[in-house]
Amino acid sequence: MTTELAIARRAFRQLRVGAVVCAVAFGLTVASSATTYASSFPTPASRQQLAASVGGDVGFAVLFGPVDRIDTVGGYAAYKSFVFLTSIGAVWAALAATRVLRGEEDAGRWQLVLAGRTRAARATVATTAALGLAVAIVFAGTAVLTALAGRDPKVGLGVGGSLLYAASLAVAPAVFGAVGAVTSQLGRSRRVASALALGVVGASFVVRMVADAGPSTRWLLWATPFGWTERIRPFTEDDPRPLVVAALAVAALVAAAAVLAGRRDVGDGTFSSADAAPPRTAGLGSPFGLAVRLERASILGWFAGVAATGLILGSLSEITTHPAPASMSGMLDRFALQGAFLDQFLGISFLFLASLAALLAASQVGAAGEEEESGRLVHALGGTTGRTAWFAGRLALAAVAVVAASVLGGGATWVGARARGVPVGAGELLGAGLNVAPSALVALGVGALSLALAPAVAGRVVYALVAWSLIADVVGALVSGTGWLAQLSLFHHMALAPAQGVDPVTLVATLAVAGGLAAVATAAFARRDLDAG
Amino acid sequence: MSAAPAAIRTEGLTKRFGRTTALDGLDLEIAPGEVFGYLGPNGAGKSTTIALLLGLIRPTAGTASIFGADPWREATTAHRHVAYVPSEANLWPGLTAAETLRFLANVHGTVDEAYRDELLERFDLDPDKKVRALSHGNRQKVLLVAAFASRADLLLLDEPTTGLDPLKEQVFQACVAEAHEQGQTVLLSSHVLSQVEATCDRVAMLRAGRIIEIGHLDVLRGLVAVQVRAVLDGAVPDLAGVPGVGNVVVQGSTVDCEVSGSMQPLLAVLADAGVHHLTTREPSLEELFVRHYEEP
Repeated sequence: MTTELAIARRAFRQLRVGAVVCAVAFGLTVASSATTYASSFPTPASRQQLAASVGGDVGFAVLFGPVDRIDTVGGYAAYKSFVFLTSIGAVWAALAATRVLRGEEDAGRWQLVLAGRTRAARATVATTAALGLAVAIVFAGTAVLTALAGRDPKVGLGVGGSLLYAASLAVAPAVFGAVGAVTSQLGRSRRVASALALGVVGASFVVRMVADAGPSTRWLLWATPFGWTERIRPFTEDDPRPLVVAALAVAALVAAAAVLAGRRDVGDGTFSSADAAPPRTAGLGSPFGLAVRLERASILGWFAGVAATGLILGSLSEITTHPAPASMSGMLDRFALQGAFLDQFLGISFLFLASLAALLAASQVGAAGEEEESGRLVHALGGTTGRTAWFAGRLALAAVAVVAASVLGGGATWVGARARGVPVGAGELLGAGLNVAPSALVALGVGALSLALAPAVAGRVVYALVAWSLIADVVGALVSGTGWLAQLSLFHHMALAPAQGVDPVTLVATLAVAGGLAAVATAAFARRDLDAG
Repeated sequence: MSAAPAAIRTEGLTKRFGRTTALDGLDLEIAPGEVFGYLGPNGAGKSTTIALLLGLIRPTAGTASIFGADPWREATTAHRHVAYVPSEANLWPGLTAAETLRFLANVHGTVDEAYRDELLERFDLDPDKKVRALSHGNRQKVLLVAAFASRADLLLLDEPTTGLDPLKEQVFQACVAEAHEQGQTVLLSSHVLSQVEATCDRVAMLRAGRIIEIGHLDVLRGLVAVQVRAVLDGAVPDLAGVPGVGNVVVQGSTVDCEVSGSMQPLLAVLADAGVHHLTTREPSLEELFVRHYEEP
């Protein structure tokens, strides 16, 4: 038991920073949206009017969850933060779980752990317990900050409601952390395990959107962890039943992970490929060629995710062709969208696609950082390829992938929309897709700078930046004078085309920032000591 | 001015990491064709030297050159001459050994394919196995095969045989000898002192970032006393006053002692007592090593 305690403590040390950051981000997001709402809509009449203007609209329900209870502070705060916080929590927990389980195994440290007085199954459970503690920190931080904000009589959120709300937000990280524990047993490397876990997150997200698309599919909410969070409806209906479902799911997943861990060989996976193969010469001619060869599967996976998201959002856009509510302006404080409701729906859809393109950049940055941290880069640079050329090649590969994913997202959205007979132009949506690329390239530029300065954490820096960008404007509104925080969002200056007009100057400026970051990073990378592994 | 540049030349080469001085004013010159042993305890600065010679890290002070090229500023020129084997083979787990060898050959630019195939046989390495399925020692073989098959002018070997079994250790030593015959230069950083004794012409000993001893192995050995054991016909005479003799241990008619400098005074005394049997033993590099590093 003391061995397991030591294992859990060690895993927790790797998780605690992320957990605290998540807790603070969650708490501040909720507190700020509640406070802002209370001051923007001080009277019951103004709240009724807001609710009446958008309430029950299915287009927004698909994107952000049901909008019908926004006539209360709690209902609004829950609605406002639902999609972004659950997504951030899910991605964080999935990646954290595969890092402390399969990542440790990849690095050979798990084998050291198992040399102690423990078994693979017990060590796995101990590690997931640390993950549970990390999720508990997210829960506690969110609950405390929500309750503190709720003490303001204008806001008026009770302790019980705050606790239930924090619990509802803990559902996604808890369940997807457990999913990551299972995929860590299935995949044979951290990258495969992470990709599988993120695939489950993506599929669960899509199921939630479909569930919110109409009454006939509403039952699907029970099939996705995001639906469980939504069904709880804290502050309004306070239904705790989904928490029981979530707890059962976590228990089942952890048990499955433990059983799988006990059955397989260490270093192996349940899904494994052959250990021997005839040589394939593709991509062995240069370090750049090798990078293309090694990253191809990952990039194609992201393309598939982007295409699926575009297709689904495009086809769901059909529901917006029914008459739109009269006034959206009060509701859409974040996005200040204009134009037809269809365009507004599509504009937000492209924000999701922009996030995916930026996450693709994060994944490429993480892969490049791992190349150095693992000690492999030394061999790639042992010949006539200079380090500037290698670095620029990695950035170019990632940039091409980001731009291709952006255009692909636009194209897939168009295909999805046209398949349902929605009247949108291919050029318009391809352009809207291309419009998200510069912002994602800024994420790549920040990643490049992190690679040049701190390669070990470069991938995580970009993941955190994307998460921040999705909640920045909400948190930035918390205290007057902190509005500049919102400016630090990747998407702050990105027009939500096709709803918003694209300003060429902004676009060029964004590209210039991305290019400048990449150039500075390349110069810095050439000047610093390499990690020889 | 010498016509051909040294394979390795460093002048005052210094590397500090924060407050730690990993390498402190290293002056080293290794001629083309030399097999040079680089010794020192963990943390003495051996790997730091090699990282500097590869241009992976930047010197805090001093200069280094590989066949006349600065490894930091002219990394790709310097790399044309160099093949490198670290103590830990971190390779791409999804590539097979053959694919890795092909990649490394393309990166380096030269490969003797016939010799590579021969080395695969001699090291007993299955080229179709993926790296992730290879043991530590087998991964190490991939890099050794790549380095020797490249026929690079300079082999930088940083504890290259960790994880290798004794049979493959012999293959390794044979390969170093073949490289030597080919006129290649080898810098061999190692803890396996028998390996260094078997392969190297000259050695340098490093402590806390500084060279404390450098020279031909035979010369270095001369710095340390020879072990003498004599079994005498009669009683052991008093050896206390004999010049150069120390650490005398007498057990019956057997005497063990150490002799530095000339053997003559000891032999004269022993001959009078009547020698039944006499053995002398040169100090091993290990003893040399222990001598140098044991003292505080």
